[in-house]
Amino acid sequence: MKALLLCPDAYGGHGGIALFNRELIAALATCPGISEVVVIPRLIVRETEPIPPAVTFCREAAGGKIRFMRTLNRVLGAKSFDLVIYGHIHLLPASLLVQTQSGMASLLITHGIEAWKAPKSVVARHFINSMSAVVSVSNLTRERFLDWSKFPGRSYVLPNAVRLEDFGMRPRNPELTRRYRLEGKRVLLTLGRIVAAERYKGFDEVLEIMPALLREHRDIVYMIGGDGSDRPRLEKKAARLGVADHVVFTGHIPESEKADLYNLADVYVMPSRGEGFGFVFLEAAACGVPVIASKHDGGREALLGGRLGLLVDPSNPAEIEAAINESLLRPKRIHPDLELLSFQSFERNVHAIVREILGTAQRA
Amino acid sequence: MCGITAIFAYRLDAPPVAREELEAISERMRLRGPDASGTWFSADGRVGLGSRRLAIIDLSADGNQPMLDTAGELVIVFNGEIYNYRELRSRLAAGGATFHSTSDTEVLLQLYRRDGERMVELLRGMFAFAIWDRRTQRMFVARDPYGIKPLYYADDGHTIRLASQVKALLAGGAVSRTRDVAGVAGFYLMGSVPEPLTICESIRAVEAGTSFFVDAGGRSDPRQYYSVAGVFRNALTQQATIGLVEAETWMREFVAESLRYHLVSDVPVGAFLSSGIDSSTLVALAMSVPGQEPLRTVTLSFGEYRNLADDEAPLAREFANNIGTQHVTRNITRSEFLADLPKLLDAMDQPTIDGVNTYFVSKAAAEQGLKVAISGLGGDELFGSYSSFHRLPLMVGALDALKRIPFGRGIALGALKLLRAWVSGNPKTEGVLRYGGTYGGAYLLQRGLYLPEDLSEVMGLDAANEGLDRLQIIDRIARILEPDPNTPFGRVATLEASLYMRNQLLRDTDWASMAHSLEVRTPLVDASLLRQLAPTLLSRRAESKQLFAMSPRPPLPDALRRRKKTGFLVPLREWADLPSDGGLIVAMRRWAETVIERAMPA
Repeated sequence: MKALLLCPDAYGGHGGIALFNRELIAALATCPGISEVVVIPRLIVRETEPIPPAVTFCREAAGGKIRFMRTLNRVLGAKSFDLVIYGHIHLLPASLLVQTQSGMASLLITHGIEAWKAPKSVVARHFINSMSAVVSVSNLTRERFLDWSKFPGRSYVLPNAVRLEDFGMRPRNPELTRRYRLEGKRVLLTLGRIVAAERYKGFDEVLEIMPALLREHRDIVYMIGGDGSDRPRLEKKAARLGVADHVVFTGHIPESEKADLYNLADVYVMPSRGEGFGFVFLEAAACGVPVIASKHDGGREALLGGRLGLLVDPSNPAEIEAAINESLLRPKRIHPDLELLSFQSFERNVHAIVREILGTAQRA
Repeated sequence: MCGITAIFAYRLDAPPVAREELEAISERMRLRGPDASGTWFSADGRVGLGSRRLAIIDLSADGNQPMLDTAGELVIVFNGEIYNYRELRSRLAAGGATFHSTSDTEVLLQLYRRDGERMVELLRGMFAFAIWDRRTQRMFVARDPYGIKPLYYADDGHTIRLASQVKALLAGGAVSRTRDVAGVAGFYLMGSVPEPLTICESIRAVEAGTSFFVDAGGRSDPRQYYSVAGVFRNALTQQATIGLVEAETWMREFVAESLRYHLVSDVPVGAFLSSGIDSSTLVALAMSVPGQEPLRTVTLSFGEYRNLADDEAPLAREFANNIGTQHVTRNITRSEFLADLPKLLDAMDQPTIDGVNTYFVSKAAAEQGLKVAISGLGGDELFGSYSSFHRLPLMVGALDALKRIPFGRGIALGALKLLRAWVSGNPKTEGVLRYGGTYGGAYLLQRGLYLPEDLSEVMGLDAANEGLDRLQIIDRIARILEPDPNTPFGRVATLEASLYMRNQLLRDTDWASMAHSLEVRTPLVDASLLRQLAPTLLSRRAESKQLFAMSPRPPLPDALRRRKKTGFLVPLREWADLPSDGGLIVAMRRWAETVIERAMPA
């Protein structure tokens, strides 16, 4: 059996969705009965990671809609597939081409905010009901998606996995410590793109309580890892609040520095409202950093309902402050429950979902 | 849920606390807490605490009050419920705190030990409490953000006395009963006494959303840790996240969260059910909470309303049957009202023109063996469904425009006089020009029972003048809008929540339910819920109520969603022989006089 994955990005991509897709591809590649996985990405922005055997990664598709559709057309002409996976709701219009192959099971992956409201594209909305099943990275995303879509088919929750071996507790990297002037400081960290469209990450909320935190702890620094167009606004805000000396903007973080960056932190805090799951929480936790997430988005599930860290109401500054104070007292450690989110359990889940969908499709 | 009392003889020249006084105060609140009682006195006799307990969480004697912490350094009396106590407890325990009970009361002690006065900002619930800190020899006093649970004090400059009820403080015998003419004036203007005033000159309310300390130097300035006005103002800067999901989704998720917290209980929880949107939606959402037992729901019916639109019983019964609650319709007759009236007026802690409805629905719930009932109170204030939400901005805007027209006021005055000749019944019509130009004045006009110039009719000229002078009602209302919420919706929502709801609905619900040893919980009156929903409310305004009604799965049936809004009415006019001509306001003015004479004997 052959599987086809259409995705925004995977190998050579940044961020949570690319990471999820790489894990998904790896799990599909080991799925009993699947002989080949063909992946058609929309974007490649950097050097790609090694591609697993049994995976065909169509690099030529990246770099524009036309290239993507042309590649898809060619692939569909050359091979027939038993399963097609739409890695993002915005890729559903590609169904127009895929539908030419009948008898194929189809799966939609929903990650977060893109699936919390009906997409503007009429075509995308139209094709949702033709999916065999929908997979969401969190139950929150699943419920919000079902809320507007009224999707009648099967729906699954497939939480992200974390490769514990890529992280782990390490001493602070001296170079980074120097670069960000963190000697003798305790560090609060939030990682994420700083763009106006993602003003739900919780940067503002943490900045706003910095004056109060600094009254208690003079040695605190808030490190904002990442870059984007909203950075000047946040810099101004830090200055207005009189905390600019205690806020570090790192700019873009290369993948290779990520684990070291987490290890600079004493607390990872992201009181967000828009995370579909929040892979960063797991990465921080995998470095033994005490983690604070939101009660009101997917972060709640990333933290296993509060087992892996503290949950706060992002609208209550006092809760965020108290959680930071509590976390500063917590020793760093890697929580054993993180194993529940290992790649092995992710892989098992993917296999089970594929088995069920293909089984159902074949019976039909 | 309890009745609490605390006496602190803070000045050295004050006599030590009299045990009999404390006990008499506590005894007056027996119905608030029939399950247990207790007192605690400091070794030097300067501090006494008393409690009557209605056990809802941790039913064992471990939850009794006054309660000491494990170190024996802090002592608390607490009235209310902390719905997030389990989370707080586990986090305090992770930080090394030790507990001897599973009660929410003890969580307050440990939270105070850790966070001091800022502890109140982490509480989700309704509360009024006093903590005696033996280490620092001072008392910490706090009340919940909305003022769901009452707390009053009398401070004579030497000794401070606190209790859950005004009448309880009076029962101790040491507090003067002298009427406060400003409180009386406030009652006649608004239909309830605006806090912090009370009907007694020497008694004041601990204001909602504030806390203070008392030490050897007396009371500290109150610290306001929550204001509805502030929430609406902040919400303006939080519009960025609204668009993440449909407004309906925010509505469902946040209301459902509030409801889940409000269902935390070690005894069965029931609900008041009317045929209105608020209670029906809450019941529908509660019935869909996984593992929730079928609720017991209670509706009142009155022979006087049979076959009229005001009869809520048939629709409520149908809804309850469809959704699967154990439903009871309780008929209340005039003769039952008259038989209960002395008890009702005795329970009425301060004069109010409302509360009869809640008194009887609480009675009906208690008859069903319930100790806790969910109420839809607060839905109209939250979702902006009172007529004030469109009338006030309109009135203020129109009068503002009128100011700019030459002779505009004169023309309008003539028109109003003509109008009054045609539309008999509302004696407040002419006040429009005088009061309608500001939110404070327009609110008085909207909610007012009497207008200031009419007060001498009931109070006499001197008392009315003195009362009005000290009351400064317009300024008092205007101060509630600080900081300015900056939007018409935010302003009216703030006024309704901070005046009508706080001084009338919530206060009446407290005494009327406590008279039957019933705890009423109000998931729509929740400080966290308001913070979470405020951005959505500001963007959807009057539509919010329908969003709320659509939030259960399946949504509320059309018959309920589209039903014309009625208040939670009782046929008081028929029962109490109130005037039947001249509009409801004339009848309520008469009722106000009855109440102040009979419920508040001077």
